[in-house]
Amino acid sequence: MTQTPAAPGPDDGRVGVTIDGREVRVPKGTLVLDAATELGIHIPIYCAHAKLDPVAVCRMCLVHIEKFPKPQPACATTVAEGMVVTTNNAEVTKLREGVLEFLLVNHPLDCPVCDRGGECDLQDFTFRYGPGTSRFPITEKVHFAKALPLSQHIELDQERCILCWRCVRYYDEITGEKEIVLQQRGVQTLVTTFNGEQLKSNFQGNLPEVCPVGALTHREYRFRARPWELQRAPSVCPECSYGCNINADSRDFEIKRFASRDNPLVDDMWLCDRGRYSFPQWNTSERVRRPQLRPRGGEQRDVTAVEAISAAARELRAVVDQHGSGAVGVLGSALNTNEELWLLGRLARDVIGTPHIDHQLEPFEKLDPAEHALGIADIEECDALVVLGAEPEAEAPVLTLRLFKAERKRGARVHRLDHGADPSRIASAVRGAKTIGVIADETNRAHAARVAAAITGGAVRRLTVTRGVNGRGAKDMGVLPGLAAGYRSAPSGKHGREILEAAASGALRALLILGPNPALETAGDVLQRALARADSVVVIDSRPGVCAGAATVLIPGHAFFEKHGTVTNLEGRVQRIRPALPPATPTPTETRVLSSLAAELGARDWDRGEPSAVNRALRAALAPYAAAGNGGRATWVAEAVA
Amino acid sequence: MIKEIVQGMAFTLKQMLSRPLTVQYPEEQKPVPVRHRGRHILHRYDNGLERCIGCELCAANCPVGCIYVEAAENDPANPVSPGERYAIRYEINLMRCIYCGYCAEACPTEAITLGPQYELADYRREHTVVTKAELLESWPHFAQSRRPPSPRGAGADQTGREEIDPGVSPRLAWDLVDARRQSGQGPHAGDLGIPADVPTVTEPGTTRDNA
Ligand code: SF4
Ligand code: SF4
Ligand code: SF4
Ligand code: SF4
Ligand code: FES
Repeated sequence: MTQTPAAPGPDDGRVGVTIDGREVRVPKGTLVLDAATELGIHIPIYCAHAKLDPVAVCRMCLVHIEKFPKPQPACATTVAEGMVVTTNNAEVTKLREGVLEFLLVNHPLDCPVCDRGGECDLQDFTFRYGPGTSRFPITEKVHFAKALPLSQHIELDQERCILCWRCVRYYDEITGEKEIVLQQRGVQTLVTTFNGEQLKSNFQGNLPEVCPVGALTHREYRFRARPWELQRAPSVCPECSYGCNINADSRDFEIKRFASRDNPLVDDMWLCDRGRYSFPQWNTSERVRRPQLRPRGGEQRDVTAVEAISAAARELRAVVDQHGSGAVGVLGSALNTNEELWLLGRLARDVIGTPHIDHQLEPFEKLDPAEHALGIADIEECDALVVLGAEPEAEAPVLTLRLFKAERKRGARVHRLDHGADPSRIASAVRGAKTIGVIADETNRAHAARVAAAITGGAVRRLTVTRGVNGRGAKDMGVLPGLAAGYRSAPSGKHGREILEAAASGALRALLILGPNPALETAGDVLQRALARADSVVVIDSRPGVCAGAATVLIPGHAFFEKHGTVTNLEGRVQRIRPALPPATPTPTETRVLSSLAAELGARDWDRGEPSAVNRALRAALAPYAAAGNGGRATWVAEAVA
Repeated sequence: MIKEIVQGMAFTLKQMLSRPLTVQYPEEQKPVPVRHRGRHILHRYDNGLERCIGCELCAANCPVGCIYVEAAENDPANPVSPGERYAIRYEINLMRCIYCGYCAEACPTEAITLGPQYELADYRREHTVVTKAELLESWPHFAQSRRPPSPRGAGADQTGREEIDPGVSPRLAWDLVDARRQSGQGPHAGDLGIPADVPTVTEPGTTRDNA
């Protein structure tokens, strides 16, 4: 065979390799597997995984490399200058057929009942690279346990396991929890939990995605759908402000699972179980479906959306005329999109003219955009990390995996401290570190600021874990008292709880509530009294709840998976959400309802309120959002850009 | 010419005396060939367990997409079919079926075949969507149907079909397919099957007007 060494170029840290007669220059240290992928050459793999270290145990990826006496695993061989790799000759074909033949000797014929069927690497590679027939006579296969629940989320089928070690390594390298082991040896090797215990991890849901076959499957997705029937909507996990990217997979207008969608800057392809298994709530049929007028003391009746919007405008105008614009309280939610919140802020401040607007109950004092300067991916760059309390990781669980990665890959020291910990003690603990990250949740923001101030001798960057999927967006959009969109100062107003208290005492006469707002419903008694006392309660909500029940004008909203828009995660990353389900109501989407409401209230320069048009207007008004585009970070302080 | 008349009359006379080919349908019916492809049958094993495992391969193979299967997990103490999985719902839209038999070909357990039944006319189009209860072979010891109550509970009529609440997602194969057609494959047409593993950097756009 003629050797064609790629001409050694300038030393740019790259090496030239030839794979199947095609040359490519890749960075030093690249695996042959990745170099082939760069050329679009497919090498089948089982044990290799983009996020796990190579172990080369399955031998599926064997390729021929010139000057090597034996075939080499592409997943564990790094490229060298002038390397000549062949993946498509008879030798490699024979090796692949052999590996597959061995894998199938004891593999059950489960494909029709296997949840992985249709997206299974064993099926796919057998189809593509397999021998087509087996030389082994049909004998009884080795049998292990089937349909073995490892926890409430995970089901194990030991017969289907191809012993790739990915699940074991996932627990070793990604979560550090070491819950799965391989036992016995030879043909009797089986995958099981340590001591046969149930899995306890918060990140079990990643196992079925890591497993290349149907050995580990989701209990929640068991027999719910076939992969080819799923409609895939790339969206964002609605459970927390971390903003993990997901695919909402639905069948027949029901979400059947959340699958991870790798965004190395945010989730790194891992989801937490709270988020992953939260999908059933979006399939509920308990929904607000029709616009209704329920005048105090009058009869409740269904109306059209147009009538409901005019009635809402009439009621709000009546209150403003009688008691002044300051008698209206406006409440958004951390589950709303940026577009909706931006319009809501403008509606409250510019059209109605009230300063009383908020998206949560607690006050949020001295908001400083710098407290979101530390990006998620930057966590890996820190030498030391201070996590105040258990709350940040409880609220945004995938953060734990990023911290573990920083520890394992970069040797960062992670200090998990009590929220009351003395700032100077923390400062001495991180002495010597060049870059320090301080992570806290919203209730410990102030303490985090003190800690950050106390640390000297290193660059300190803070990250505040906001509440609700778009809690950060609500702040950026100015759905806060005293701060308008883009953190511009605005006349001070009441915060969430004060708005409710004022309404309950009669100081506020009208409430405009854009839901769904689970945080608001925790207010309990004061919320009930506020809703009962106000003359007018205009509610735009998708779920029947306390607010929708007490509305004088009720306008159906769209659930998170029924609309277009963007949400902003805790580090300011602006990400797109897309509908996975058709809307449960024919009412126009919230942005259009808000625009119509503004028009009825006399606003002249508002357009129709299509989400895309609102997004354009929003980006024209807020430079960081224009810079962020879709998928980038909206940063409000120069430091964070670094 | 006389010869021809005689020949013609002879033929007529012969036919008059032979047995007619036509039958008095529907009082009388002719047997259909064994390989006739008429309405489908879902078969059972000899012990009464259903052959169908709810794998949906028939639905995947059906060229017109008229089969709708929903699978569920067997209760090991009281299984519906051998193994872990069975079909909790099985519907075929006979109006759309072209009786090609591809479903039978795809079935790994020989659970579905096309049978001799050809009288499929009905006064109501909804009735041409046959359910599992109608398709399943009857078996002496089995209750007439093991069809479980509708997963959505209330709102289901005797046939197990659910009323379609305006605004509620339709559930029946019939409506499903139509609804999908009308909306151009749902709200995210084109996204299906595209690996979206990188941060999306497209502009937010309106693919659909919710009004
Ligand atoms: S793991 Fe793959 S090959 Fe094995 S039964 Fe499941 S789908 Fe079939
Ligand atoms: S259970 Fe899956 S991931 Fe674990 S070793 Fe077996 S095949 Fe690999
Ligand atoms: S006979 Fe053909 S068209 Fe009819 S259900 Fe079967 S596969 Fe579909
Ligand atoms: S009839 Fe056969 S192919 Fe169709 S779901 Fe049942 S077992 Fe699968
Ligand atoms: S993928 Fe290379 S040896 Fe398993």
